[in-house]
Amino acid sequence: MTRDSAAPEVRIRDLTVVYKTPAGELPAVSGVSLTLNPGTITGVVGESGSGKSTLALSLLNAVQPPGRIAAGSVEIDGLGDVLHLGGEDLRRTRGRKVGYVFQAAQSSLNPLKTIGKQLLDLGRSHDVDDLRALVADAKALLARMGLDGARVLDSHQHELSGGMRQRVGIMLALVLNAQVVVLDEPTTALDMITQATILRIIREVHEERALTTLVITHDVGAVAEVADDLAVMYGGRVVEHGPITEVLGTPRHPYTQGLIRAIPRLSGDISLARALPGRPPTLGTLPVAGCVFRERCDKRMEICETVEPETVTHDGRTVACHAVGRPAPVKRREYA
Amino acid sequence: MITGTAITKTFKQRGNVLGKREVPALRGVDFAIPKGGAVSFIGESGCGKTTLGRIIAGLETYDSGEIVIDGTPMSSLTHRNRQPYYRRIQLIHQDPYSALNPTRTIHQTLEAPLRLRARQTGRSKSWVDVRAEELLDLVGIDPGYVLPRYPHQLSGGMRQRVVIARALTMDPEMLVADEAVSMIDVSLRLGILGLLRDLRERLGVSVLFITHDIATARYVGDEGELYVIYRGQVVERGPTETIIADPVHPYTQSLLSAIPVLHGLERPGAEQVVPTEALDEAQTDEGCLFSRRCPFSTSRCESERPVLGHDGGESGEATVQLHACFHPRRRSVIPQGVGA
Ligand SMILES: Nc1ncnc2c1ncn2[C@@H]1O[C@H](COP(=O)(O)OP(=O)(O)OP(=O)(O)O)[C@@H](O)[C@H]1O
Ligand SMILES: Nc1ncnc2c1ncn2[C@@H]1O[C@H](COP(=O)(O)OP(=O)(O)OP(=O)(O)O)[C@@H](O)[C@H]1O
Ligand code: SF4
Ligand code: SF4
Ligand SMILES: [Mg+2]
Ligand SMILES: [Mg+2]
Repeated sequence: MTRDSAAPEVRIRDLTVVYKTPAGELPAVSGVSLTLNPGTITGVVGESGSGKSTLALSLLNAVQPPGRIAAGSVEIDGLGDVLHLGGEDLRRTRGRKVGYVFQAAQSSLNPLKTIGKQLLDLGRSHDVDDLRALVADAKALLARMGLDGARVLDSHQHELSGGMRQRVGIMLALVLNAQVVVLDEPTTALDMITQATILRIIREVHEERALTTLVITHDVGAVAEVADDLAVMYGGRVVEHGPITEVLGTPRHPYTQGLIRAIPRLSGDISLARALPGRPPTLGTLPVAGCVFRERCDKRMEICETVEPETVTHDGRTVACHAVGRPAPVKRREYA
Repeated sequence: MITGTAITKTFKQRGNVLGKREVPALRGVDFAIPKGGAVSFIGESGCGKTTLGRIIAGLETYDSGEIVIDGTPMSSLTHRNRQPYYRRIQLIHQDPYSALNPTRTIHQTLEAPLRLRARQTGRSKSWVDVRAEELLDLVGIDPGYVLPRYPHQLSGGMRQRVVIARALTMDPEMLVADEAVSMIDVSLRLGILGLLRDLRERLGVSVLFITHDIATARYVGDEGELYVIYRGQVVERGPTETIIADPVHPYTQSLLSAIPVLHGLERPGAEQVVPTEALDEAQTDEGCLFSRRCPFSTSRCESERPVLGHDGGESGEATVQLHACFHPRRRSVIPQGVGA
């Protein structure tokens, strides 16, 4: 694990993001606190609608109406609270200080301009002096991801397959040498072999450049391979967070346990795998009080109906669940 | 039982700068799907899985080869006379979001095909509603809740169950499930896989399962057979568990090596096979189709095309599965669970 002192730390504190709906403003991210340790890759997993993309957008202060950041702060070393940045400062931060690929990246490329032209626009808007060097860097990054850089830069978006566009997005996120990189579903449109290649490159570049990286995905497997830390989101909350091998090996939150049990595996007894009962919540169906996971939880107790569990950190691991809570005097956990 | 022999299909693409481009999607594929059986197709994007699935479901033409359904060669029938055969094979669409008409309630969605079915089988109108409820029960969702609702009011898992229920309105003998779980939330995937397994066991429906997520193929039930397809050719074929645990073809081994290891729960397999190059559609067709990317390629591989067989090759190992490789060798590439 690289812990390079040059890499910035990112501290998200009590972040709440709401979307305006016919039923009023509803929280898609609710009081989230999460620290991205400098020089590490943090994976965020969660089902559709759990608030992953909304969290990613907040790191760039880029939540768009009908959404609004209602509370909290996002402190990045050397930048301060990005939620207080605006105008020109914010524009310069995006891309240059915080590189990103948003989930919709495949369609966010300009259809009328070649990729090369868009790269130059990006360079100019960030006052890059040496545009030749920028193009050379871009080609090198594309080549590492198995693409012919010259051909890709000469192409329009529609001339590239979904998987190629996704790699172009990753290139654009890295090419300005940002130190914080946010990748939202970077490998979803790719098949296994390409995904494995891209994940390896993300890891390599991350280490070479001493980055602090956030990788968001609904696929636990995709982050298991690259991340140092894992944060699990459910209903707009981070319900568990810790070193990835520990979270996967001995998950503590009932949702994490259920999610891991539900992953189809290549080896072992298939009858041990089980789907989680119920369905993932939406903004409209999220309970307003108590634990957001309680309807699907096999460990729920009376207190879960009315009191939202506090986030407790213990042994470097963070969990929000009444059943885990404090270290119990009697050992009654069954993680096996 | 449905079998295919030497099925070929080449797409001719126009509009390319270089004029016409030919895409050989299938290069002589044999298959057999027994009644109540489960067959899975896996392979990289563009290898021809969907094309083969659509041909089997009667939705795509093929250039040569023969398909035989329950003993009747399809080439002996007129287009019209083939329809009753193909009605018994229903396709489940990959995307549960676009597969259902958003302006219709689930009741309306199921009613139309059931009315048709009632006419075909001489049943009364009242049967339609009874059957709709039966089918939703069968796929594990509450009819009272689902019937009056629109697709957008249901979760992805529920929608996919509705899509399966709709496919069942035609009393099919086979379901072709093309990436049927890839767009469904992880926590719900096993539910759909379990349903497919259940339909096999309870109704004797056979399942053709198309996926790029190999692990899911294990969950469609016992005695499944796995076909690994590479650039339109079946390169390895055999019992699902054997192919996953004991693959002998370097391409299968690369696919399995690429599956992420759940560190903390699993440790990587003892050996890893990584292709020497990325997939390039313009790759030559000479010799073994995988030779350019294969780490074990020899000069023979570059000039000769291996065919699917049990041949032990130079390593001399007899194999349970069929493979198309001159140098088959077992390698344990898949991750193994740690602890209990
Ligand atoms: N523009 C919007 N207007 C209203 N609600 C929104 C909007 N964007 C997102 N939401 C809602 O906010 C919640 C969180 O959405 P978000 O996109 O952050 O989830 P996600 O975890 O990224 O999901 P996915 O895996 O599907 O990408 C969802 O319930 C979603 O419906
Ligand atoms: N209608 C078509 N016209 C031209 N080429 C086509 C057509 N349909 C498929 N192809 C080509 O045939 C090949 C096989 O495509 P197919 O959709 O069967 O692949 P697949 O294995 O299902 O891939 P994926 O995993 O991406 O769904 C590809 O090269 C594809 O580009
Ligand atoms: S707080 Fe209660 S309902 Fe929520 S996960 Fe823990 S035990 Fe389950
Ligand atoms: S025939 Fe040769 S090139 Fe083809 S898979 Fe086998 S070893 Fe590799
Ligand atoms: Mg998202
Ligand atoms: Mg397909």
